[in-house]
Amino acid sequence: MTRTIRPTIPLAAFVPVLAVLAAASCGQQPDDGADPKVTTLGTIEVTAQLVEVLGTFPPNDLYDYVYVLKYRILTTHRGAVAGDTILVGQYNPLKPRARAADVRAEGIGGTLKAFKAGDLHRMALEVPLDEHYMGPIINKYHGKAGGPLHWAVWTNRVIR
Amino acid sequence: MRCHWAAWCLVFLLGFGALPAALGGADPRVATLAAEVRGKGWIAYGARSAKGDWDLWLMRPDGSANRNITNTPAYSEAAPRFSPDGTKMLYRRLPPNATISHDRWGFQGELVLANADGSNPTVLGKPGKFPWAAWSPDGKQISCLTPKGILIVDLATKQVVRKVPRKGFYQQLYWSPDGKWFCGVSNHFGQNWTVARMAAATGEIHAVSSFRNCTPDWFPDSRRLIFSNRPKGQAGYGFTQLWFASLDGKARGLLYGEDGRHIYGGALSPDGAYVLFSSGPKDGSGAAGRGGQIGLMRLADAPIVTGKSTALRKVHPKTNNGPVLTLPIGWEPHWTYADVEASK
Repeated sequence: MTRTIRPTIPLAAFVPVLAVLAAASCGQQPDDGADPKVTTLGTIEVTAQLVEVLGTFPPNDLYDYVYVLKYRILTTHRGAVAGDTILVGQYNPLKPRARAADVRAEGIGGTLKAFKAGDLHRMALEVPLDEHYMGPIINKYHGKAGGPLHWAVWTNRVIR
Repeated sequence: MRCHWAAWCLVFLLGFGALPAALGGADPRVATLAAEVRGKGWIAYGARSAKGDWDLWLMRPDGSANRNITNTPAYSEAAPRFSPDGTKMLYRRLPPNATISHDRWGFQGELVLANADGSNPTVLGKPGKFPWAAWSPDGKQISCLTPKGILIVDLATKQVVRKVPRKGFYQQLYWSPDGKWFCGVSNHFGQNWTVARMAAATGEIHAVSSFRNCTPDWFPDSRRLIFSNRPKGQAGYGFTQLWFASLDGKARGLLYGEDGRHIYGGALSPDGAYVLFSSGPKDGSGAAGRGGQIGLMRLADAPIVTGKSTALRKVHPKTNNGPVLTLPIGWEPHWTYADVEASK
């Protein structure tokens, strides 16, 4: 006969951890993502929620690419977009936006460090994508979602 | 004693880099192939000079008469393409320490027009101008691939005479010898790295080979494409192989492959009888390093699989094991049957 020994951790042991997490969460000041770049670059400026990340981003060790992401529009600050959701091409999304620019995608950037579904982003955009970027595009929405592909020029994190 | 003699011979051969040639020479089929192609024009290619920069080199197709035709320590030169009549060449000139990008080289540096032997080089524009320039069939125009579209440029005036939407093409655009088509690498119906063709007159686009393809070029008959392809179904990352396909993509097949090596730089001889390529152990054609090992084979001997290549032979059981003529290490070789000495 075997007996399973389950460690019992008193609830009190979690209190310091929870306190740290709560403090960290409280430490994130609300940020509307506005800065001189995102409010002036591109022809469109929106605050939008990243709906999902379909699949996984391939590595960037040899090949550059744009990954098409779906966003739900919350606020349109400048320009115009068609519909409640738009498709946005993010260049080499494994890289923090501040380090994403290179000779193929000059002038892009932002404060966003990583793409996570549900997060809010304030973005300066151009459209159509093809006039601003020439390279491989991974578009898992092809044939599923309509509308033009936008080019993300500047992408800042929004905290509410 | 005999053993010592053999060992010293091996050291000698290794020391002088002559081992591949010596091994190649052991296959009488390779010697026959070399003799067969020796007088068939010239091959231009880019390769590192002793100083470390890239220069352009010219050799007979058997590797003889190999010589550096630029010798410019102040610049690097790469990607030579002979004009259809073999009297001129286009290439790109970069800073000497520039790293050539296997996917962006068409944007890099200045476009240069020179005689086919490299003499009389003329810079045609600023760095980045005339991206992915490729000859028209009559040699009077070039096509350029830009984000705004495919531009047809008159070489004499450097004026854009026509603009065509690029429809997802993004690199390595080449004009067919009959002038009816462009081929290139494109985002096509949601698939990136698709080799496609576009009707030059109407802009109609068709996929030729989808999924992990690049570096397409034309057969002389304008009815088939040669390209690199890393097929699905391989263990791990897999290896890039040299393939061909008809324009509708239906008739396709392996030309050359070897497990453990990535094959790029596929190009046909002007009569379509021979195939040029380069191979290396790392993906990316060796552009960032020294290039790849240039090889030459008969189209009639395809498909060829070399090396042990257990996995590749399992997928392609009926292949030849050669002959493949081993040429110098380089990048983006191109072949003309013209007498380049007469181009001066």
